[in-house]
Amino acid sequence: MADNRLRYGAHNLTDPQLKDLRAAYAGQQAISDNRGYQYLAGLHGVPGFWCWHHQGNARTAKHRQLFLPWHRAYLYHFEMGLRDRVSAATLPWWDWTLRPPRQTGLPDAFAVAKVGGQPNPLASFKVNLPNTNPPVVGQTKRQPGVPGDLPTQADIDDALSRGDWIDFGMALEQLHDSVHGWVGGFMGQVPVAAFDPVFWAHHCMIDRIWWLWQVKNGNANIPADLLDIPLAPFNMKVRDVLNVTDLGYDYAAGGAKVAVGGVS
Amino acid sequence: MARAAKTPRRRYDPPRRGGVGKIYTSGRVDITFAGPEHRTYRVDLMIDGIEHGGPSYRGFVFLNNPGATDKTPRDLENGYAGVFDIFAHGGCMGDPGHCEVNEHKREVYDFRNPNPLTPARKRVTVTETIRELAKRQKTATVTIVPVITAMNSLCETRDVFKCEELSFVAYN
Repeated sequence: MADNRLRYGAHNLTDPQLKDLRAAYAGQQAISDNRGYQYLAGLHGVPGFWCWHHQGNARTAKHRQLFLPWHRAYLYHFEMGLRDRVSAATLPWWDWTLRPPRQTGLPDAFAVAKVGGQPNPLASFKVNLPNTNPPVVGQTKRQPGVPGDLPTQADIDDALSRGDWIDFGMALEQLHDSVHGWVGGFMGQVPVAAFDPVFWAHHCMIDRIWWLWQVKNGNANIPADLLDIPLAPFNMKVRDVLNVTDLGYDYAAGGAKVAVGGVS
Repeated sequence: MARAAKTPRRRYDPPRRGGVGKIYTSGRVDITFAGPEHRTYRVDLMIDGIEHGGPSYRGFVFLNNPGATDKTPRDLENGYAGVFDIFAHGGCMGDPGHCEVNEHKREVYDFRNPNPLTPARKRVTVTETIRELAKRQKTATVTIVPVITAMNSLCETRDVFKCEELSFVAYN
């Protein structure tokens, strides 16, 4: 799709792409109003508590299936906020299935504490919520597990093999939950997870896997009665987020612009 | 005019890893549905009504091994069947009453979103382990070893795994 922006793997970012991403994160983190990082991260858990995860009983049979659509709308808004800061920036996805030497656990882009002598905006964020109960004030922290414990390609293939929407969603959400626990620290708890900058790359991977499933299975088996449920607080319904190309993006493993003109 | 009760203020410490919560073992359950005479191609352990307000954890599932711990090898020989992860809330991040689910008290015309702490459901595919067991016995126990991945001082860390219902579902 010529007009779609591309989301790349975090392990494949070129230097200019990484520079744009860091500048966009840093710009967003410096804003304290409702365009800023803290506001957007705070929609997921404390203080907003809008996110949808694994609730499940007879009363929430539909709502429990909003995990994937809600987070797609959330990523979309976050990415648009990044692009308000740096127009070329797009969200990268963290491919947790990669093993050494290609990647050891967290992507390097998000793991290094400092870049050029300055704090890496992809490594940590200083939360400042003095009025919540309890107050949450301080830098996000991680406590990663052993790289071999991250999900494998076989785990993803197993999830993708499940043609039923609910079965697939549960399998993918299990991989999602396991990675939150693997990163540990702030990422390990729903109310504060989104303050960790790697949250977005993790969810980008989840969104990508859902898109791969949609390319294979289509949307016909997504229950029709889900389609008009609003994805609050965003101005979108489930049907609005089914096609990523309608949202202006697509996924790519890597790529480079080819200069045209001036060829001798 | 009556004054509102003062809200207790608490301290938030960054989440950290924890140890092993209380290990759960069920009573014996009939597993003949997974025997070789049946054409079962997949068996799931459905875990319903899981509380997720406390620590986040990995729940390692063992069949017919009530002595399993976090040190037990995770292989067929020891009845290891799979794992589920609970990405939880880590204690209440609000004023008193914030984390009371109260689903049973809701009015029919209450169209507000359900409480985010409505109990969860997880499904663990246990096909290979239960098939092997069913070749030689008619019943088995279910043991769940919860290993805490994120906790802090806001959450209770002993009774980590709590659920309302466990059931096997076999497909053929």
